[in-house]
Amino acid sequence: MDLVAELDGVSHRYGRTTALDAVTLGIPAGVMAGLIGPDGVGKSTLLALIAGVRRRQDGRIVTLGEDMAQAGARGRVAPRIAYMPQGLGRNLSTTLSVRENLDFFGRLFGQPSEERAARIAMLLEATGLAPFPDRPAGKLSGGMKQKLSLCSALIHDPDLLILDEPTTGVDPLSRRQFWDLIDRIRGHMPGMSVIVATAYMEEAERFDWLAAMDAGRVIAQGAPAELRAQGGGNTLEEAFIRLLPQSDDHSPVVLPPREDRDGATPAIEAQGLTKRFGDFTAVDNVSFTIPEGEIFGFLGSNGCGKSTTMKMLTGLLDPSEGETRLFGEELKASDMQSRLRIGYMSQSFSLYTELTVRQNLTLHAELYAIPPETRAARVDEVLDAYGLRDEADMLPDGLPLGQKQRLQLAVAVIHKPRILILDEPTSGVDPLARDDFWRRLIRLSREEGVTIFITTHFMNEAERCDRISLMHAGKVLEMGAPAEIVARRGAETLEGAFIDALEDEMGRDEAGAEPPVYNAAPRRRSAARQALTRLWAYSWRETLELMRDPIRLFFALAGPVILLLTMGYGISFDVDELSFAVNDQDRSPESRALIDEFAAIRQFAEGPPFASFDEMNDRMGQGELAVALEIPDGYGRSLHLGEVPEVSIWIDGAMPFRAETARGYAMGLLQSYAARQAAETGTSGATPVDIETRFLFNQAFRSANAMVPSLIMLILMLIPAIMSAVSVVREKETGTIANFRSTPVRRTEFLIGKQIPYVVIAWGSFWVLAALGRWLFDVPFSGSLTALSGIAVLYVIATTGFGQLISSFTRTQVSAVFATAVISIIPTVNFSGLIIPVSSMSDTGRMVGLAFPGGWFQPVTVGTFVKGFGWSEVALNATVLAGFCLIYLAVAALALRKQEA
Amino acid sequence: MQAVINTLRLTLKELRAIRRDTVMIVLMIYVFTVAVYLVTNAASTEVKDLSVAVVDEDHSQLSRRLTDAIRGPLFLDPVPLSPEAAAAEQTVGNYVLVLAIPPEFERDLRSGGSATLQILVDATAVAQAGNGASFLQQVLAQEISDYADPGGDSAALVDVVYRTRFNPNFTASWFTAVMQLMNNVTILTLILSGSSMIREREHGTIEHVLVMPIRPVEIVLSKILATGAVILLGSVLSLTIVVEGIMGVPVQGALWLYVLGAALYVVAVASMGLMMASFTSNMGQFGLLVIPVIIVMFMLSGGITPLESMPAWLRVGMQFVSPSPHFVAFSQTVLYRGGGFGLVVGHLAAMAVMAVLALSIVLARFRRVLAN
Repeated sequence: MDLVAELDGVSHRYGRTTALDAVTLGIPAGVMAGLIGPDGVGKSTLLALIAGVRRRQDGRIVTLGEDMAQAGARGRVAPRIAYMPQGLGRNLSTTLSVRENLDFFGRLFGQPSEERAARIAMLLEATGLAPFPDRPAGKLSGGMKQKLSLCSALIHDPDLLILDEPTTGVDPLSRRQFWDLIDRIRGHMPGMSVIVATAYMEEAERFDWLAAMDAGRVIAQGAPAELRAQGGGNTLEEAFIRLLPQSDDHSPVVLPPREDRDGATPAIEAQGLTKRFGDFTAVDNVSFTIPEGEIFGFLGSNGCGKSTTMKMLTGLLDPSEGETRLFGEELKASDMQSRLRIGYMSQSFSLYTELTVRQNLTLHAELYAIPPETRAARVDEVLDAYGLRDEADMLPDGLPLGQKQRLQLAVAVIHKPRILILDEPTSGVDPLARDDFWRRLIRLSREEGVTIFITTHFMNEAERCDRISLMHAGKVLEMGAPAEIVARRGAETLEGAFIDALEDEMGRDEAGAEPPVYNAAPRRRSAARQALTRLWAYSWRETLELMRDPIRLFFALAGPVILLLTMGYGISFDVDELSFAVNDQDRSPESRALIDEFAAIRQFAEGPPFASFDEMNDRMGQGELAVALEIPDGYGRSLHLGEVPEVSIWIDGAMPFRAETARGYAMGLLQSYAARQAAETGTSGATPVDIETRFLFNQAFRSANAMVPSLIMLILMLIPAIMSAVSVVREKETGTIANFRSTPVRRTEFLIGKQIPYVVIAWGSFWVLAALGRWLFDVPFSGSLTALSGIAVLYVIATTGFGQLISSFTRTQVSAVFATAVISIIPTVNFSGLIIPVSSMSDTGRMVGLAFPGGWFQPVTVGTFVKGFGWSEVALNATVLAGFCLIYLAVAALALRKQEA
Repeated sequence: MQAVINTLRLTLKELRAIRRDTVMIVLMIYVFTVAVYLVTNAASTEVKDLSVAVVDEDHSQLSRRLTDAIRGPLFLDPVPLSPEAAAAEQTVGNYVLVLAIPPEFERDLRSGGSATLQILVDATAVAQAGNGASFLQQVLAQEISDYADPGGDSAALVDVVYRTRFNPNFTASWFTAVMQLMNNVTILTLILSGSSMIREREHGTIEHVLVMPIRPVEIVLSKILATGAVILLGSVLSLTIVVEGIMGVPVQGALWLYVLGAALYVVAVASMGLMMASFTSNMGQFGLLVIPVIIVMFMLSGGITPLESMPAWLRVGMQFVSPSPHFVAFSQTVLYRGGGFGLVVGHLAAMAVMAVLALSIVLARFRRVLAN
């Protein structure tokens, strides 16, 4: 038998946790191979290693005949593999339309446009997505998202298709359509191998070959029938549970009948609930009544309005129409009492990962106002009841998903609520843990009379509910006991009944029968053309995403203008109208003449006189007074007598720059006053030397002439850097980074591609800022415009590159924004010549300034604006800035790993 | 009462979240130590160490004397250059001031003719050039009159005694240190508080909190308290240990009053961070919004250039929308002028009002924003 992937002694560790423990396995080629097993046993790790998106730690992995330890081999094999990561539509860009997403993937594989168009048309036809080519991926239902993900995986005719839990969280109809589609495609591409990890045992029944995994090891392998025989069970699920070494409680889950109490107030009553978002109706006139103690299952595909309904039941959302009654009382959003009666568990893990298991429980016990004397006892009780005693002091992140879910349930019941609202609590949890979870739910319902409202995609779970309802596109299609619905639909199973109901609503299988196979011989393209296409794929996608986020686009374009306007007017070293006051104790014509000297120049604005030191001190203390002049009694007289009278000038030194300037003005003024007096009285002593001060480059000594060019430097450092700072890390957070890892795109193509749109925007901003500087702030432009604009390109490449560099190192958008702001603002504001000339900085200051692009660009803006610089004066700066571009790109590329650790 | 206890419990939880964020903590330590130290020591608007070149074409005793008179701390030691070199070097920004002493300067002066000295100023260095030039002019005038009339009484007509209140030597490092601290506080608080909200929204944990018997105001206040406490502690430690202890910059005034004002400032800025977060839906948007706000709040606070130099509309506008001008005025009064509570109550009130306004907007938008 041919093998598509061979593993020999493969081990993988995350910190101290062992994910894979010396796995040796051969996966047959040309078949549907499945990996089954509980959560956290290493299925995803194994798939990622086979696909080459995770870095191999130990052992030998051969995929499609290539050794995945070698980068060259990975490069050759990447175009032949399609990898669909776990999580519904995780590799799709939500703001891009169906067609745009597929275009993006086609480009990543370097396909020319006509080939891409043909393939996309075919795939859309085959998957039934053809009617919605322009719908944004984020607005697709779960099933459609999954189909789109599959299309994107199939766009390059892979030899190996790797699917990691592709149908988790998808409704039964979409699930069935999905597998039919895979079968059809395999029918036409017999050579294609498929490896799937799944938590649905009934799906695994239809695979050709299975490997059952537990605790990082393969415990059984072979055809489904062989596995059933090994485990000894009628279904694969039973067999699997028996194969597990530690399983002792594998009795089936039974639901004891519920005692009906007639006439009791129903626990939940929903009347005509409707919720509209704009003109989209998410929930349309939904009503139900749930008696106390019932387990009510709420089924439907993702995006059908289930979560919105639940949010209205918990009071998180106010309905547009209709009302909810809990135990007969109307629910209001701000009602604290009703919240005490509800326990809620949201779809994703929403507890605090920074608190330990016990701290989480205690915090919730406190917030739900459990009295201090019983609090510790209740926490202990819950720890025992939910089997979390051993994990009490661990952080939730280190727990397997099943235990996390148990913790969430424990938190939801800590205050003994009468109603539990659970949103897909078992999604992604393995069968064993799910059974365990359900036993707890049934106990809560039957023994404690808790009403449970639960959503699920598992049909065997739906069968355990007292009643269920099926929702589609905001409407309830079916409601009743599971057996009742099966009978009404005339189906054999609940799954069949649901598919029937959905098909009634949506029409029969809308997917075309045409096989999605591209027959035309692919046109050969040079490696460089392909590289450019891949680079363009990222540029184009980043541009579209930016265009679809108008708020971000607005900030990106308006931010620089607003900054230049406020700071251009606001930062001025033209010290005008310094508040000044006099205490004239002399009141002679001479003293008046001296005061007039001060009042005459515009730099001083005279305020009301002061009478005492204390008054002056007070006013200066409040910052009302910058300069105070005190002329003593007898000033005029002693002046006449030829004595040298003494006057005092007080200056507020709290703002040193202003104080220095004020002193400078006062000195200059007194000097010229003395000179004039001397000339008038004929006294000698005035020196004949004329000291002439000439202001170069800025004759009028206007702040704006120097500040505006420098501000352009500052603005083009900060805004572009922060724009690009989220670009890479956002992909890491949303999971679309998987596309970068699993396709042939190179690191530099990825980085440069994502950088281009920001460079274009930033360079556009440069022109706007330069124009504002020239015509609004009236700064003369005397140098070479081509030099300035040319170097501006280098500068914005460097600054956006800086953002990407930070983005490549950080793991969250928050820390990327934070780090970019902190690292760029401080040196650029202080050390790049914006305010203090670089030549008079200390050596450290100068070095810090020159370590950033701003310190090299500031002389260029100032030089070309007011000093008449051309290329020759700024050639060095241009070279250094080009160096920054390259260094940032190189370091970012090094920090960005093509494989996950 | 329950509300207060809940808020404190949530605050504790927020503090734990901050403690586990290593990147944040490293950056915070950096800004409160290295950045404050670096900026305070190396960057200030006071005239200090100004670079000067001298083009001496006279080569006389007097010209050497004049050259020697240009000394620290105001000026770096002057560098003798040829006229061409001086012009070129000044153009590329290596010297802010160039003193040109013409040939035969001393002889002309002795012969009673008129002699002219020229100071060439690189006027693109606006922050220091003007004051630097006038100081250089005075130094030269003094030196020449000493030369003309050795030992003689300076011919001053009026003896002016300059006295400086509050900061006798115009030492800018006091000021720069406090302004840099404020800058750091602004950056950290805005981003920390705003991102704590956006992060919860992006991860869906806020939903979980909202179904609990907790009011939005408790959530919001707990975020402000946690962010505020950490940053306030950082800035006070930085002020006392780094600024006062290591750099030896004396801090006058009542520390408790400064802490009170800083606390109000942090609360106001944190509220504004949350408010901005409520108007944006992802970190990309928030980052682009927060950067201009940080820059404007810092640069136009009156801490870098005097408020008096701004156009009236901008000055009044800043005082209305930003707490930073109030905090700068407050810090100057408390830390330099040793002013008491009475002198700063107006600024404190202004910051408090801004905090309350921003908080009301956050709370009004809270549910609506989270619903989407």
